[in-house]
Amino acid sequence: MFLGRVIGEVWSTRKAPDLVGKRLLVVEPLDSDHDRPASMVKPVVAADPLGAAYGEHVVVAFGKAARVACGGDGDYAFEAAIVGIVDDFHVPDAPPSWRATPPAETHSTGGRS
Amino acid sequence: MLVATVVGQVWSTRKERTLEGLRLLVVQPFTLRNETAETVVAVDTIGAGVGERVLVVFGRAARHAIGKGPDVGFQSAIVGVVDGMDLGGKRVGQTAEDDE
Repeated sequence: MFLGRVIGEVWSTRKAPDLVGKRLLVVEPLDSDHDRPASMVKPVVAADPLGAAYGEHVVVAFGKAARVACGGDGDYAFEAAIVGIVDDFHVPDAPPSWRATPPAETHSTGGRS
Repeated sequence: MLVATVVGQVWSTRKERTLEGLRLLVVQPFTLRNETAETVVAVDTIGAGVGERVLVVFGRAARHAIGKGPDVGFQSAIVGVVDGMDLGGKRVGQTAEDDE
């Protein structure tokens, strides 16, 4: 489970049947060691049963916790889900960027072009 | 779950029995701020092509998506092809060529 921030949303048409109707958000983990998140951050795609908005801080869980949050401990073709929208947090040594709006220049390197 | 780009395919003859008949793709995880991450080999059931961005899951979700039962010799699977992503107004497309 980690504390992250919603930085976007993913859409997909060709997908596993049990992803149909699921809202998938892109979440950037917060990193206490860097003012910006770790240089090699791979954002996590999490199912969102709660209706989180862009820029909100969220708690993301994996595995059984994620399945339960999405309606039961059945089998799903995803392993991460947003289980809480954060009202506030107190982390004394958190870098200022934790509270900032996510940068719009977040950049893709998804392929070797 | 990660977003990744398909960068290639792997073939293997001598392999774990439960991998037989499965298509194995090499994918490069999507990262922020122009860094690169190590590649992942994932089973593909969607029919993704090189250059396409895909959704990759691990563990139980991957085993469920492939549907060959709980005891199999793989741990990652492609469960969707990305149409697009909206990252705070920046549009990321199905392939790098589609990015704004």
